[in-house]
Amino acid sequence: MTVAPIAPVQGVLPTSYLAGVDTGAAPVAGTDGSAFATSLTGAVDNLQQLQSTSNQLAVSAVTGNLDDIHTATLAATRAQVTLELMATVRNKGVDAFNEIMRMQA
Amino acid sequence: MTFDAIGIAGSALTVHRKWLDAVSDNLANMNNASATSGPAFQARYVEAAEGSEGSGVYVKSTQLGNAAGRIVYQPDHPLADANGNVKYPDIDMAEQMGALIIAQRGYQANAQVVDRARETYMAALEIGRS
Repeated sequence: MTVAPIAPVQGVLPTSYLAGVDTGAAPVAGTDGSAFATSLTGAVDNLQQLQSTSNQLAVSAVTGNLDDIHTATLAATRAQVTLELMATVRNKGVDAFNEIMRMQA
Repeated sequence: MTFDAIGIAGSALTVHRKWLDAVSDNLANMNNASATSGPAFQARYVEAAEGSEGSGVYVKSTQLGNAAGRIVYQPDHPLADANGNVKYPDIDMAEQMGALIIAQRGYQANAQVVDRARETYMAALEIGRS
């Protein structure tokens, strides 16, 4: 007895019921999954740079080598907001991953 | 630059800080007497200009005020000339005090902008949380 190979699933065809309706949904192209990792790494690098700038300015502020007080506080604010943004994006990504891992038939 | 409102307000903070420096210099040297043969202390004024492509404001140059000063008759002054005159800087104290208040308020307003921008960005990060 021979077993015929199972044909791969070719994607869901639209039903004729909705043939005349434009759903507006473009087919989603597959990705290699590296886009999110790349953007996250870039954001971490950017954050690291902001934090190091903030640290340098804090040191010059306490050693008296600073012309403008506000440059130090502005750098700290910028680093803080960027850190919050990073943490939020990270949390959203992890949430999405966990949601997918919870999927079951 | 990310979070541009903070950077723009920061440039304005720098300009107002320099204006405060100029006003304090003018007030500090307001009563310098000098001989009528030499120049009087010249008031310093900062010239602010807008940055390119909405990047805020910067100090384009500093301008110097009138070197002629005002002549005051003080015959007993050690620096008085043959006619008994000395020279004082041509700086109006009331005008400088007004500039001082405007510079301070401008600095405070831009510091407020930084705080409000930070609060706004934080509100954006709260979207969709919980």
